[in-house]
Amino acid sequence: MSKHLKSNVIPPSRQRETPRTGLTWIGQSMKRVEDPRILSGKGGYIDDVSVPGMAHAAMVSSPHAHARIIRIDTTKAKAVPGVIGVYTGEDMATVVEPCPSFASPPITQHAMSVGKVRHVGEVVAAVVAEDRYIAEDAADLIEVDWEVLPANVDLETSATATGDALLHPDDRDSNVALDESFSFGDVDQHFEQADHIIKRQLRWHRSSAQAIETCGVVAQFDPFKGGYTIHSNSNFYNFIPFVIGGALRVSPGELRIIPVLTGGSFGSKVFNHKIIILTAGLARLAGVPVKYIEDRLEHFTNSDSHGSDRLYDTELAVTEDGTFKSLRFTVMDDYGAYLQFGVGTHGNAMAQVTGPYRIESFGMRVLAVLTNKTQQGPYRGFGSEVTNWVMERMADAAAAELGRDPVELRLQNMIQPDQFPYMIPTGNIYDSGDFQKVLAEAQAMFDFDAWRDRAAALRAEGRCVGIGLATCMERSVYGPTEWWSLNNRETPGFTLTSTPEGITVRLDPSGKMFVTLNSPMVGNSPETVVAQILAERLTIAPEDIVFNYSDSQSGFNGVGPQGSRFTAMIAGACVSASIKLEEKLKRFGAHMLQRRPEDVELRDGKVAVKGLKDQEKAFGEIALTSSFFRLSFPDGEEFDSGIETTAVYDHPLSTDPAEDRSHLGIFYPIVGHICHIVAVEVDPGTGKVDILDYAAVHDNGTMVNPRTLAGQVWGGTANGIGTTLSEQFLYDADGQFTNPNFAEFAMPTANEMPRNFKLGHVETPSPFTEYGIKGGGEGGRLGAPSALTSAIEDALSDRGVKITSLPVTPPILRGLIRDAEQATTG
Amino acid sequence: MKPSAFQYERPEDLQAALALLASGEDTRILAGGQSLVPMMNYRLAQPDVLVDINRLSELDYIKDDGDVIAIGALARHAAIKSSSLIQAHLPIIAEAYSWIAHAAVRNRGTLCGNLCHADAASEMPAIMQILEAEMVVSKVGSNRTVAARDFFVGVYETTIEADEILTEVRLPKPGAGTGWGFEEVAMRRGDYAWCTVVATLRLSDGRIAEPRIALAGVEDCATRLAAAETALKGQAPNASLFDDVAEAAAKATRPSASATSDAAYKRDLVRALLPRVLNDAVARST
Amino acid sequence: MTKRSIELTVNGRLRKATVPPRMLLSDFIRQELSLPGTHVGCEHGVCGSCNVVVNGQAVRSCLMFAVQAEGAEITTVEGLAQGDALHPIQQAFWEEHGLQCGFCTPGMLATAQELLAQNPDPSDDEIREAISGNLCRCTGYEFIISAIRSAAAKLREANTETTLQPV
Ligand SMILES: Cc1cc2nc3c(=O)[nH]c(=O)nc-3n(C[C@H](O)[C@H](O)[C@H](O)COP(=O)(O)OP(=O)(O)OC[C@H]3O[C@@H](n4cnc5c(N)ncnc54)[C@H](O)[C@@H]3O)c2cc1C
Ligand code: FES
Ligand code: FES
Repeated sequence: MSKHLKSNVIPPSRQRETPRTGLTWIGQSMKRVEDPRILSGKGGYIDDVSVPGMAHAAMVSSPHAHARIIRIDTTKAKAVPGVIGVYTGEDMATVVEPCPSFASPPITQHAMSVGKVRHVGEVVAAVVAEDRYIAEDAADLIEVDWEVLPANVDLETSATATGDALLHPDDRDSNVALDESFSFGDVDQHFEQADHIIKRQLRWHRSSAQAIETCGVVAQFDPFKGGYTIHSNSNFYNFIPFVIGGALRVSPGELRIIPVLTGGSFGSKVFNHKIIILTAGLARLAGVPVKYIEDRLEHFTNSDSHGSDRLYDTELAVTEDGTFKSLRFTVMDDYGAYLQFGVGTHGNAMAQVTGPYRIESFGMRVLAVLTNKTQQGPYRGFGSEVTNWVMERMADAAAAELGRDPVELRLQNMIQPDQFPYMIPTGNIYDSGDFQKVLAEAQAMFDFDAWRDRAAALRAEGRCVGIGLATCMERSVYGPTEWWSLNNRETPGFTLTSTPEGITVRLDPSGKMFVTLNSPMVGNSPETVVAQILAERLTIAPEDIVFNYSDSQSGFNGVGPQGSRFTAMIAGACVSASIKLEEKLKRFGAHMLQRRPEDVELRDGKVAVKGLKDQEKAFGEIALTSSFFRLSFPDGEEFDSGIETTAVYDHPLSTDPAEDRSHLGIFYPIVGHICHIVAVEVDPGTGKVDILDYAAVHDNGTMVNPRTLAGQVWGGTANGIGTTLSEQFLYDADGQFTNPNFAEFAMPTANEMPRNFKLGHVETPSPFTEYGIKGGGEGGRLGAPSALTSAIEDALSDRGVKITSLPVTPPILRGLIRDAEQATTG
Repeated sequence: MKPSAFQYERPEDLQAALALLASGEDTRILAGGQSLVPMMNYRLAQPDVLVDINRLSELDYIKDDGDVIAIGALARHAAIKSSSLIQAHLPIIAEAYSWIAHAAVRNRGTLCGNLCHADAASEMPAIMQILEAEMVVSKVGSNRTVAARDFFVGVYETTIEADEILTEVRLPKPGAGTGWGFEEVAMRRGDYAWCTVVATLRLSDGRIAEPRIALAGVEDCATRLAAAETALKGQAPNASLFDDVAEAAAKATRPSASATSDAAYKRDLVRALLPRVLNDAVARST
Repeated sequence: MTKRSIELTVNGRLRKATVPPRMLLSDFIRQELSLPGTHVGCEHGVCGSCNVVVNGQAVRSCLMFAVQAEGAEITTVEGLAQGDALHPIQQAFWEEHGLQCGFCTPGMLATAQELLAQNPDPSDDEIREAISGNLCRCTGYEFIISAIRSAAAKLREANTETTLQPV
C-alpha cells in the first residue's frame, strides 16, 4: 500500500448476518408487494394529492439565458377572474431566503429570480389561481422588460469570461466556481518513470434522467403554528427539513414533509428543494394551499437535475509490459448557472476512478465552470458513469497504442480476487470482488470468441461490425463525504458523515405486522425487500406485513434511495429490528408457554418450544395478550405492553478524509462489478448504430430479489444506451435550449433496445453488509456507455474513426466517418 | 402546458363546417388533433374558434373510385395503414406508416390533417408528390382541386385558405408493374424524419420508365427530384448510375438545419438512401 | 368560454359533466372524474403515459378535449380489475415485473389491451412495435415485453376456456 494511505485504517466489519445459502426468502424472485395498488391505478403520486381549498400555480419562465430583470408588470394578470395572487421574486423574497447550497463558498440561488436570470426557464414570477388553466392564462399576461446580457454557452469560454458575462458578480469575479487539485500517491514519479503516456481528450455531454413523472409539490402554510405541511416527491423527505428550514424561515421541526409514491427519480428527485421552497413560499404569500407540478418543459429547463457535462484531458502512465501505473486528468465540468451540490459528482467519482485496475496513483485538477444553463443535479451514476467511461476509453486507447488485445490488457491489470479489501489511491476501498469471474461469465454468455471471429469476417467483407467490452465498477452504499471532500480545505462547508436508515416494526394484536419506512418508493422495491428480509428472519409470510411511510415529523432517520444504498442499508435496519423483536417475542411467548426464553424459537409465525411440535403461540396471540392483557405478565419494564421496535442502521464502513486530502477516506466501499459486451453494426452512410447482441453480467453481492435487480440492470442499460446513442441537451449560441421535449430529446423506446439481451449474475458477497448484500441501482448506466463506445470504435476501426465524445447520435457519428473519409481521400 | 380558451363548434355535416369557417373569425379545424393539440398545449396555437370535424362521418372513407383511391378527410392513419385497398394498390403508404408516429397517434391522426399541417419532416407530403395525388379543397359554394406538387408551399405552409377544408385526397393507382422504394433515417423509429427518400418507377424493356423521386425532411418542404428523374429516365438500372444520381441530388439539395442535425448530414443521407430506394424500386417492379 | 355538458361512459358507468371546451381529456379523467390512474407525463403526445382506451382504441388523452369524448366509451386503468381480481394483463405485469415506478404503467396497459384485442398472439417484435409509443424510463422494456407475452397466453387460455364451456 502506498504511503499516503497508511493513515486510512479499515475499520473491522460489523456484519452480523453472514452470507449463506439455504435461505427461504432472500434470493427469491418474489412478486412485488407494491404492485397491486400501483397496477390498479391507486398508487398515489404527487399529482393525485388534493387538499381542501387547494389552488394551482403556473410560472413565468425566463426566455433568456442571461438577462437583468428591469421591470415586471403584473397588472393584467391580477385582473384575470379566478386569480388569487401574482408574485414576483421580490415578493417571494419577503417570505423565503435563498436556496441552500453545498458549494463552499455558497453560490446564491433564489427559488424565484431576483434581479437577474441565469438560464432559460428560470422562474421570474408566478400566478396562483383556481385552476392551472387560469393560472397559465394569467401568467401569459405578465410583462417583463429585460436587459439581455452575454450568454455563456461554451465551457472553455465561460471559464475566462469577465464583466457582464459573469454569472454571479456579487459572489465571485470568475465563472470558475471551484478549481482544486489533488494528488493521491506518487503521481509525478510514476509519470516520469512511465514507458508510455497515453493521452486523450474526452468529452461527455449533458443529458438528464427525465423520469416520466416530473417534480411536484402541494404546500400548506399554517399561520398559527408557523409551520408548513408539504407533500413532495422528493427522495429525501426525512432529511430535507434540515436543508430547507432556513430558507423557509422555520425550524426543521416545523416542516411536515409527507412522501408520495414517486414516478421515477434516477437521482433527479433526490432533494427537490428548490421546487419545495418555491411552492411553499407561494402558499404562504397566497394564504391558500398551493399545488405546483412542473410541466415537461419546466422539468427540462428548470428542474436542476441536468447530468454531467465534462471535458477531460486524461493521461495514463503505462510501463513497457502494459502495467497501468498512474492516471491523471484535468476535468472541466459545465455545471450550469448554480452549484447546488458543490462538486459532489466528482467526489462520487473518486470512489472508483481507477476502475477495476491496480493503478497505484491518481492525480486530478477539477474546475467547476458556471454557464448560462440549467444547473446540474444527480443522474444515475452521479458522475461515476463518466469516469467509468473515461477509464475504459483509456484502457482501449492503451491497448491500441501498445498493440495489445484489449481484454488481455485489462486482465493483466485487474485487481486479483485475493487482494480484497483493496484500497485505491483515493483512499476508498473495494470490499470484495471477483472481476475475472464476471468477465469470464460474460464472455461465455456472449460467445465472445465466436463473435470476434464473426465480426472480423464481416469487417473483411466491408461491413462495419464491431465488439466492445467494458469491465466497470459499481460502487454502492454511499457515505456523504463525497459531497464535500473535494471542496476547498479551509472552507469545506457542509461536513455530513452519516447516512442512517431506520425502520419501525410493530406486531399488531390482529396478527398483522405493521412496518413503517422512512424513505419513499421511487420505483425501487422498498416494501418487497423489507418483506423478504423480515419474512426470512421472523418466519412470517410476506403477505402478513403491511407497509406505511412516515412523514418527516412522525418518522425516524431515513436518507432514501440514492447512491445504490437503500437495499443494503434497510437490510441492516431489518436485522437490528428483528433481533429486538425476536427477543421480545420470545420473552412474552416463553412466559405464555411457561418456558424460559432460551427454550423457545420462532417457527412459522409462532413462538414455539424447541423440539416440541404443538407447544406454540402465534405472534398474533402474543401481540394481543401483551397489548390488551398486561396483567397476564410479570411486573417490570421488560413486559411493558405491546410488541414494537424502532431500529436504525448506520453506514457499515466509512472513515473521514485525511485533513490534508492526501486521501479521501473510505466513503463508498461496497462495490459491485459489471461486465458488458456488445456487438454493433454501424451503417457508415447514415451513422446509424444497430445493436446486434448484448450480454451483461453484474456482481451485486448477495441478491435479495434477482428479478427486481434484473429490472434495475435493464433500466440502467436503457439509460446508458440513450446516453451513448441519442440523448443530448442542445443549446444554441444564445443559450437557448433547443430540444427540451420528448420528441427531440430522444430517450430509447422499446424499438431502440437490443433484441437479444442476455443478463447474468455473479454473487460475491460483501464481508461488511448484512447477508453480503451490495447495491445495484445504477450499474446498467455505469457500464453500457463504455461497452457501446468501444464496439462502435471497433466497428469503424478500418476507417480510422476514434470516439472521444458522447453521445454519438447518427449525425455526429456520420460526421466522424465523413471526417475520416475526407482525411484519407484528401 | 394548458391550451388557452376557445369556442368549440362541432358541426354534424360538411356544409355546416364550411359555414363556420366562412364566419371570418379566427377559426381552426380540429381533425385528429395529433399536431394541433400539442401546439395548443404549448400555446403556440391559440385559435378563437375550434371547428371539430370529427363528426363529419361523410368524410370518413377510403374508397375505390376507378383509377383512383379516394381518401376522405376523416380517414385515420391507422385505418389507411391497415386498409386492404391501400395494401393492394399503394403498399408504399402502408410501409411509410410504420415510420410515422405510433399506434395511439395513428388511431386519431388523419392523413388530411397531416398534409395540412405540412411539417417539413413529414413523410406523406413526399409520397403525395410521387403518387401525383390531387387534393380536393372545399369552401362554401365551391370545390377546387390542387395537384400535390402545388399544395405544399413551405414549413407548415400549404395553399389551403382559412375558410377551406381539404376534404379528399385522390391517389391515382400506379400502373401495373410499378415498383417502389421507401427509406428513412430518424433518431427513433416513429420520429419525424431527418431524411426520407421515396421513389416509384417502372421498367420497360429493362430500362427505367416514369421515375418519380421525392425527399422529405431535408428541405423546408417535401420536394420532387426532377433532375434525378430526368437522369434516370430511359437508363438501365445500375449501381454507378444510382450513385451518380444520388451524388448530384445530394449536391443540389438545400437542406434546412434543425436542432438535432445539420445540412452536411442531410446531404449524406440523400447520398446514402437514394441508391437503396432505387434498388428497392427496381427490385419491386415487374 | 361557454361550458358544455357532456355524457360519456367511463369504465362502464355513465358520467355526466359540464366542462370548459379546453379541458383536456386527461385532466377531465383525473380531476373531474377522480380517476387519477391515468397519468400525464408530457402533454405533447410523445410519452403515452396518458393513453386510455376510447371506443376500443388506445389514444393519447392529453391530445383530446373532454368535449370530444361526448358519447364515447372509455376504459381507464381503474376499469380493468374486477373486484379484487386483477385483469389478466395486470396480473401478468405483476408476475413478470413489468413495472418499477409504475408511472408509465396505465398507458402501457391501455396499449396492451388494444394490441391483444387485435392480435391475440403477437410476436416479440410486434409487442415491441406496439409499445414503442409508450416511454418507460425504468424498465428498459424487457419485462414489459415478457408481461405482454404472458398476458397474451393468459387471455388465449381464458378465451378457449370460455368457448369450451357448455352453454
Ligand atoms: C408522438 C408523435 C409522433 C409523430 N410522428 C410523426 C411522423 O413521424 N411523421 C408525421 O408525418 N407525423 C407525425 N406526427 C403527426 C401526426 O401524423 C398527425 O396526426 C398529423 O400531423 C396531423 O393530423 P391530425 O388529423 O391529427 O391533424 P390536426 O392536429 O387535427 O390538425 C393539424 C393541422 O391541420 C389542420 N387541418 C386538419 N385537418 C384539416 C383538413 N381536413 N383541412 C384543412 N385543414 C386541416 C388543422 O387546423 C391543423 O392546423 C406525430 C405526432 C405525434 C404526437
Ligand atoms: S402525457 Fe399524453 S403522451 Fe405524454
Ligand atoms: S415503470 Fe417507471 S416509467 Fe415505466
